[in-house]
Amino acid sequence: MSTPLLSAQTVAVSYGKIEAVLDVSLVIPKGRIITVIGANGAGKSSLLGSLMGILPLAGGSATFEGEPLDRVPVEQRVARGLCLVPEKRELFVTMSVAENLELGAYHRPRSEAKSSLEMVYDLFPRLLERRKQAAGTLSGGERQMLAMGRALMAKPKLLMLDEPSLGLAPRIVKEIFGLIGRLRDSGVSILLVEQNARGALRTADYAYVMETGQVTLQGPAADLAQDPRVIESYLGISGGDSSCSLPSSSVGATNP
Amino acid sequence: MDSTIALFLAQDGITNGAIYALLGLSLVLVFTVTRVIFIPQGEFVAYGALTLVGLETGVVPGTAYLTLVLGIAAFCVDLVRSPDGRQPRVLITRAVSDLGLPLVLLGLSGVVAPANMGPWITVPLAVALVAPMGAYIYRLAFRPLAQATVLTLLIAAVGVHLVMLGLGLVFFGAEGYRATPFTDVSLSLGVIDLGGQSLWVLGVTAVLIVTLWYAFGHTLAGKALRATSINRLGATLVGIPTARSGLIAFILAATLGAISGVLIAPITTIFYDSGFLIGLKGFVAAIIGGLVSYPISAAAAILVGLVEAFASFEASSFKEVIVFTIIIPVLLWQSLRSGHVDEEEE
Repeated sequence: MSTPLLSAQTVAVSYGKIEAVLDVSLVIPKGRIITVIGANGAGKSSLLGSLMGILPLAGGSATFEGEPLDRVPVEQRVARGLCLVPEKRELFVTMSVAENLELGAYHRPRSEAKSSLEMVYDLFPRLLERRKQAAGTLSGGERQMLAMGRALMAKPKLLMLDEPSLGLAPRIVKEIFGLIGRLRDSGVSILLVEQNARGALRTADYAYVMETGQVTLQGPAADLAQDPRVIESYLGISGGDSSCSLPSSSVGATNP
Repeated sequence: MDSTIALFLAQDGITNGAIYALLGLSLVLVFTVTRVIFIPQGEFVAYGALTLVGLETGVVPGTAYLTLVLGIAAFCVDLVRSPDGRQPRVLITRAVSDLGLPLVLLGLSGVVAPANMGPWITVPLAVALVAPMGAYIYRLAFRPLAQATVLTLLIAAVGVHLVMLGLGLVFFGAEGYRATPFTDVSLSLGVIDLGGQSLWVLGVTAVLIVTLWYAFGHTLAGKALRATSINRLGATLVGIPTARSGLIAFILAATLGAISGVLIAPITTIFYDSGFLIGLKGFVAAIIGGLVSYPISAAAAILVGLVEAFASFEASSFKEVIVFTIIIPVLLWQSLRSGHVDEEEE
């Protein structure tokens, strides 16, 4: 087997004395969607933060394309092809949509950025319409699109998405998950962190379940979707594969 | 007061206001990018002005040595602190910017000072001597505190201010100095003469403001700086080195301060401690702009200049009081409007 794109060994993250992530190991092969599901506070976002380099590792190590990541500053991780779309989007709210996207390609030559921009506008025609609007005036779904678009401008090899479906209407959630699948098909590997287990398991190739900072289950996403423990904890007793919704909200949309 | 006096005061006020505008813009820039309320901004004004006087009077100014000392200190601190600092390539770049640059500037000062050269040489050199200090001071005092609260950063800023004030006294002495005007030309506008130096002040300020506006609005580097000030985490995530954004903000602040200093040196007598009060008036303007708005700060700076000019004519003993009183209704209004603001969203 070729070297995985990203590999994390016994990663630990802590905030002072509080340990958010304990001994998590995961592997992300090229061209796959890997999902990490789990309840709020399970340590999923902390895991992403540490892989991105915005949170220090308290233990363990990570490699990207076989190269160790420790002590690599965030900007160099971005340049190497590692990108994070954070849960809160972190857009430049008073700047225009076009400027947000332009800055996404900060470390790339302007000529390359141009072709990426066309690609992003192709994926998100809505952003093209709103390119002159301030990012702060966008709707929740558009903000998520802009955050993803901005990350894609960096031409990531691995795109890490933190709760991309959070707070979005079911129709938009489906759109976003569909898009994640298309991105994988275009060669971008994806690490998807979600509370929306149903949508995530349907989109992903392989899944990890996190509880209180540790990986408790892992396996091919389709298998996990059938696992009684996952069904009980994350998909609801009714189970099955019929809906796509946030775990705590009512079932909003049905599958076609 | 007749109209001639009013016009004269207005000219004076606008000239000073232009300087306050530059300082106000620097303060807004530094605060939005690094969250530092940059009290020592005024010291760069005094340093710039007194460095120029030194070069004109044939003395190698103390700032030339101070820049070298700060450069050496910054170089050593980075050598110890930064993990990749010992790679040869990084080491060479740093040696050039921290040791080579101040040495060259010191050498130039040694040549220029005794040769009695004109303002076309001395003025840019004075600015160049002070500007790198912004970078060294940021690296020595503020970058290690990048994660600290606004209050901690403010305390550090006050500390830097006191140190620079003391060094100013050591290097320049307690006496006040005035530089020779850049030109003897003056423009006659009806009843008043517009002094050549006032024209320089207004012209240079206008050019700088337009340049900054263009750089922030239309260049990637400028947008990256703005992005850092809007959302630091977002900027980090797109790969903008936010520490470098801070560095650029401080270099710009020092440069703008030094330029302000050389511009007013021929108009006002500058003492080693004059900078503080001048900087504070720029600060009033920045506060009126909420420490975030460039256009409001610039407009407020002109207002501060005008108020100061008319106050000094009508009630000269109260002129500072009147200027600083402007800040009270503004603060009241801002606190009423915004309610409670959390210092930092974590």
